[in-house]
Amino acid sequence: MEHKAIYKLCKGLGCCEACCLRYIGIKNPNAYENSINFVTKYNDENEPNSIEIKNNNESTTDNEKNTTMSSTKSETNKSNENNDNSIESTENVDETTIEVNNEVESNGRTSPPSKKRKVNICVSCLGVLQEDNWQEGFQMVKELLDKKGYECTTFACALSAPIATLLREKIITLNIVDEFPQYDAKVLTPLKEAWKWSFGVKLSAYINKTLDSGAVSPLLVTVNMDYTDDLQELEILKLVSPQLFEERRKQRRRFVTEFTRRSVEQALEKATLSSLKAAGAQLVAVRARGVCGYIKLSRNLPQSPWILDGKRVLPSSVQEIIFAPLAKCYKWEEADAERRLKLIAAGREDVDVRCLGDGRPFAVEITDPTRQLTDEELKEACKEISNSGQVIVKRIVPITREDLIQLKNGEETKSKTYEALCIKLSHSKYDTDHTSPVRVTPEDIDRINSYTNTDTDVRIAITQKTPIRVLHRRPLLTRNREILELTAELVPERPQLFVVRARTAAGTYVKEWVHGELRRSAPALRDVLAARADLLALDVAAVHLAWPPS
Amino acid sequence: MEYNILDSIDLNDSTIYKSFTDRYFSKRYILNIDGIKNNDIMLMFHSNRITLLCLAPSHFFFKRPDNYSLNFTVGEVDRLSNLVKGKGKKGGQMLTPKSVICKVQWSDGTSFNIPCCMKGTLIEINENLVKHPELLRQEPDSDGFIAIMLSSIAISEATKKELLNHEEYLKRVNSSL
Ligand SMILES: [Zn+2]
Repeated sequence: MEHKAIYKLCKGLGCCEACCLRYIGIKNPNAYENSINFVTKYNDENEPNSIEIKNNNESTTDNEKNTTMSSTKSETNKSNENNDNSIESTENVDETTIEVNNEVESNGRTSPPSKKRKVNICVSCLGVLQEDNWQEGFQMVKELLDKKGYECTTFACALSAPIATLLREKIITLNIVDEFPQYDAKVLTPLKEAWKWSFGVKLSAYINKTLDSGAVSPLLVTVNMDYTDDLQELEILKLVSPQLFEERRKQRRRFVTEFTRRSVEQALEKATLSSLKAAGAQLVAVRARGVCGYIKLSRNLPQSPWILDGKRVLPSSVQEIIFAPLAKCYKWEEADAERRLKLIAAGREDVDVRCLGDGRPFAVEITDPTRQLTDEELKEACKEISNSGQVIVKRIVPITREDLIQLKNGEETKSKTYEALCIKLSHSKYDTDHTSPVRVTPEDIDRINSYTNTDTDVRIAITQKTPIRVLHRRPLLTRNREILELTAELVPERPQLFVVRARTAAGTYVKEWVHGELRRSAPALRDVLAARADLLALDVAAVHLAWPPS
Repeated sequence: MEYNILDSIDLNDSTIYKSFTDRYFSKRYILNIDGIKNNDIMLMFHSNRITLLCLAPSHFFFKRPDNYSLNFTVGEVDRLSNLVKGKGKKGGQMLTPKSVICKVQWSDGTSFNIPCCMKGTLIEINENLVKHPELLRQEPDSDGFIAIMLSSIAISEATKKELLNHEEYLKRVNSSL
């Protein structure tokens, strides 16, 4: 087997030097101690580091590491899956395990400029084997060991790597086999071995202890590398191996989580390159995210393309209007843009509902961006979006994965203020004159403004059955919801109309609350009014979520 | 305010004043069920294959001013104990067009049945009718609906095609007067 060819292929896919060696099947620990030097023999001399240079132009990765440290705990090391260099398992020595959580994060960020040399995160190990990511881990381990003051002169180390690395290894292996059918996937050197031989050796010098096998040393340092996209990335396996995960889902009591190393290995066992590709698997290490809030001015615009039976119902969508200028910056065709851009919004409004105020918080996730967009380009993109006349985006700023979690969590906690244009359709039971035309009276307005049915800060506690419009795809439930604030006012020259502003708890169906939906929502605004009433138009006036994060 | 809600719609456009049921449902009718004159039912189809069971305005029920009560126990089956679980609405009572949903009992002891007129699953009985049976008379095409049913797209579409639409219904009812 041509080592050079495999090296080139892996490098081209975006592997780090150490991973290239793993795929070649190098088992010599020394090779991993300085993999960058070791691989020089695979580089063609007349075109030195050609791939390096190309990659460096993608100045995207500011390797943002958010480090958390979990508490130390004493536990017995049951390393039965380690068929490593340890001799055999010992009996229960009272070993100490140190867990260091080290987050692998690969957000593309523009600022602040990092003095550190920028490295492209490896698509295979997600940075686990890349020296530039180690310093923080070394420090964390050292600090913890100093604090604990273990006198033991040896240590063993173990890696808990992101499960997504298994999926990525499979994709790369299949790519190699695709190119070189005689390639034997079994030659792959396990990630944890390569890591021990490189990270472990350097850590040994840093903490001044001798690296030993877990069977011998009573001190075990477990380094836990978290990859925040881990579970999201593994979602595609449900498409690759639907039965397996359906089984696990059914036995939810037995399997707390869907994705474990074991289940992922099972799912990957028979996977082919085409099945993985069809499911949407990608080798991407870099994701950039931009955020802001969008203001929607149209009552005829869905958030995402509305397609029914393969035909477009409406010509455009918020998503398409926002994506267009971004795709233009990257010179992406429509299909490419659709694949690489993802709109993540804090909820969505109905097609016929406008979203005003500061707009609805959203983020755009750019998968595998070829570069970072400049402030100028982002400003220009906002201008172009706003020129649509249907959507306004005031600014776009880069964010991190953590911010995104806030956006997603916000969906369950945020309250919203709505403005609704309403019509009174019959005399109320309080109206004294039932012969004159129906009109909204100042008494009606007072009644709405003072109505409450709780003793708490909540103005109106309501129950809502699952609305009929979504009942075909959601379970029938009766939910308790809250109207937190409520004010109403008359509309000049329109005696039957009135406008209400209501702040509602997350998950409240506000249209249904206004008209009562055949009394399936109660008490509805019409019940407060004690007259038939309906909704003519609805706006989201504010989404109460601090966004973008400061 | 910058984008005034009053300017955002055309207040002279009559379609914005359509009632809730007229906005979202299309009405279909079955007349003289079981050969009984004016034993007329209205089904309201939502585009998502949810269907509401209602009495048609021409039903003989509306011609009689007597007091009545509603009975949702049909033979062995208690319609009020209907329970559906999950997205799939598992456990809902199965319905055929002849299935009786509710019995209307007049104060003189006579009664008539309300059949559901289509194949599907019972999702929900209008619980408000239990406390407020007068809704059946006062708001038969909205808050006085009888039940919510769900069927497959195929059945929903086929039934819709087969039954009288609103114009055909008006023609038939007016010519039989
Ligand atoms: Zn790597």
